[in-house]
Amino acid sequence: MSITLDQVTKRYQGSPVVNDVSLNVRDGEFYVLLGPSGSGKSTLLRSIAGLTGVDHGRISLHGRDVTHVSARDRGVGLVFQNYALFRHMSVADNIEFALRVRRMKAADRRERRKELLRLVALEGMDDRLPTQLSGGQQQRVAVARALAHKPEVLLLDEPFGALDAKIREELRRTIRQVQRELGITTVLVTHDQEEAFALADRIGVMNLGRLLESDKPDELYARPATRFVATFLGAANLLLARQTSEGIRFGTTPVNARAVERVETGREHEVVAVLRPEEVELAPTREQLQAGYLAQGQVEEIVFTGAIERMRVRLQSGAEEAQLAGPAGESGAALIEVTRTQPEQRAFPLSPGQPVFIGVRRIHVLPTPLSSFSAFAADEADAKKLSQHQLLAGLASGMKTRVSVRVDTTLDIIRAPGTKPDLAGVAVIAAGPDSARHVQVLLQRGAGEVLVLPEAIVAPKRILIHWVDETPRRATLAVSASLLRHVPAEAVYVGILPEGTSEAARPQGVRTLLDARSEAQASHGLEMRTELRVGEAVEELAGQLAESPEQLLILGVSNVEVLTERFSRLLTASPGWPILVVYRTT
Amino acid sequence: MSFRQPSILPGFGLTFGFTTFFLGAVVLLPLTALVVRTAMTDWHHVWDVVSSARALASYRLSFGASLLAASINAVFGFIIAWTLVRYDFPGRKIIDALIDMPFALPTAVSGIALTAVFAQNGWFGKYLEPFGIKVAYTWIGIVIALTLIGLPFVVRSVQPALAEVQRDLEDAAETLGAGRFYVFLRIILPTVLPSLATGFTMAFARAVGEYGSVIFIAGNLPLKTEITPLLIVIRLEEFDYGGAAALGFVMLLISFVMLLTINLLQAWGRRRLVGDRR
Repeated sequence: MSITLDQVTKRYQGSPVVNDVSLNVRDGEFYVLLGPSGSGKSTLLRSIAGLTGVDHGRISLHGRDVTHVSARDRGVGLVFQNYALFRHMSVADNIEFALRVRRMKAADRRERRKELLRLVALEGMDDRLPTQLSGGQQQRVAVARALAHKPEVLLLDEPFGALDAKIREELRRTIRQVQRELGITTVLVTHDQEEAFALADRIGVMNLGRLLESDKPDELYARPATRFVATFLGAANLLLARQTSEGIRFGTTPVNARAVERVETGREHEVVAVLRPEEVELAPTREQLQAGYLAQGQVEEIVFTGAIERMRVRLQSGAEEAQLAGPAGESGAALIEVTRTQPEQRAFPLSPGQPVFIGVRRIHVLPTPLSSFSAFAADEADAKKLSQHQLLAGLASGMKTRVSVRVDTTLDIIRAPGTKPDLAGVAVIAAGPDSARHVQVLLQRGAGEVLVLPEAIVAPKRILIHWVDETPRRATLAVSASLLRHVPAEAVYVGILPEGTSEAARPQGVRTLLDARSEAQASHGLEMRTELRVGEAVEELAGQLAESPEQLLILGVSNVEVLTERFSRLLTASPGWPILVVYRTT
Repeated sequence: MSFRQPSILPGFGLTFGFTTFFLGAVVLLPLTALVVRTAMTDWHHVWDVVSSARALASYRLSFGASLLAASINAVFGFIIAWTLVRYDFPGRKIIDALIDMPFALPTAVSGIALTAVFAQNGWFGKYLEPFGIKVAYTWIGIVIALTLIGLPFVVRSVQPALAEVQRDLEDAAETLGAGRFYVFLRIILPTVLPSLATGFTMAFARAVGEYGSVIFIAGNLPLKTEITPLLIVIRLEEFDYGGAAALGFVMLLISFVMLLTINLLQAWGRRRLVGDRR
């Protein structure tokens, strides 16, 4: 491995800008860190270069731990967005800077310089001053300068940001060529997905300081695991669907199994489906659809962009319940984005207002267990208020999903078990003296997750994760991973051994802890810290929650009675903390 | 060069006329008067005045002390500018505002204040006295007064230049293996040097012409702590206008030669630092 990051965390004024990032970049690999501005990608790159220290975690370059090694001694080459050329020096002096620092002989310096200038196709420019060069040329000089001392790793921070499209593409090609020729391990930071696709062997997508997913470009595009990656890499329609034992159902419309990838049967529940605009088929009649039928619709707007045509189609009938997940996704007002190629346009020309039949060629179901939210309260005003709770609204907009308002006066009535589940997504209730009972009722009515929100709005900085027994472990981890992608907080798994655990049994506890950590890492890409406690679970959790109000607890349970008997004091505590109960029986 | 210049903003003729008129009336005319007045005086008298031992000593003091003060300002002004630009600390704004105080204060006030502090029985002077260090009424006092009034020139001209040195440049140099001192010498200093030289020159020019603050702290002993501007005033008080003009003319001449030299040095230095050409 050329670059190994192990749980790297960098905090700025207390909140993490780089949050528990672990990453391996292979020898000679071109790795692209992709993310929106403020996602922590540049900070991470600067940490690798040694210009920014880390608060936690380790960084190794070629097996050498460099966490505490200064930038000067790390042997990396760094290229900046604004070139950062020394303006009072000629091109030659710029390139030879690193060699001069290393007291290399003049003749050797000249030779190396000529070689580098040839590499970046700037022969004969030696005596120019940077101000006499174009932006593209300046960035080539910067690349040559960064490579002069033969670094083991080349780091590029948005190197094309300040260049126009044509030059950008040319320089992109040069950099890829140079990288191949030298076989140098390279990490490039960008917010431009097209750039990432064009250059990367592998892409790592970052958001809110976390590395969400890391894979080959085509894999990431076709099979994203998170909403963020699905919508950040290209356009995507996110649809809420129901996973049943037979397959996927949008409202009442079952979707042709051929179109659906990776259908997991099991507990019937709500899922998030990704529908790429180019995987949508439009036809004048249902019979003429070659792909599986989804719904009927009406063309809302068409934008011609040259090679393809972009349009928005309003869903009308057939999939009324297949509400789009998204802030605009009020039921019945669902718009989906569609792109069509020239041949498709010629075969079926369309204009705004025209009714169409919509088919889907391919659907990808996200493995996230958090699909949507329903805010429950006994009267409408309370439910509305709850649905607008800042933490909940923030989560929903980050997850591009909706919060529906459910007025329910039967939250106090415990029904006989066995009633058909009628709940979708995460049920949300307000914290109060009755919240333990409400949680119990909702779980018995089929909710898989219940979020209890105290009135006070505090952004959680730390998320505690605990499961009472092993049954809900997988689900709790999945929920935690999903939630943590949308909250800039640190995750801590709290393992609790019962009081009086013998010394001999303790290593077992530690192993469970480490297993949990590696499972979170392997199956969800979730990095978390672990803490082992000995004592009564509820006491230990309460103790830890008492440390700060900026916390959230994710509690995995498999037995409703156990929850209400043992943990109700956490659920009814005042002022309390947000608590997300994950309930799985099998 | 043509006087017809196409430009977005009209009025070149008008503004150019204004420029020449203003320079002529405000700068050139008085200077010419000075030269003419000198020329009209009896040549023997002029020579006697400007070459007297007292005059020669005053030149040495005026220009020597000014040069020393400007050099001190170049070093410490740079450090102050660096601190103000690079660090954020409580009270930064206040210190930043304080820098300009010597501009605003009547120079006589700063002279009296300095004398009060540095006199043998002053707040600070009394602690220096046992060590045999006398500040007030010696050339040291003059240098201190000139340093005080010249400081804002250096700080204010270096500040914007330093602010413009991108952190990225230092970061780049660091990843290329350069140590801190090397980065300072090779990256920061060359970028800031022209402004530093400008600040130095202005502080120097200001110090040469300074009168108010110096006469209070200098003691004004002929041949020892008498600066040229004071000598000119003394000549005036003796109604020796010709002599005063002659001394003024000599000051003008020396200042001009020195400023020219500094400018040439600056240009040469810029080439040197950029260069190392093979």
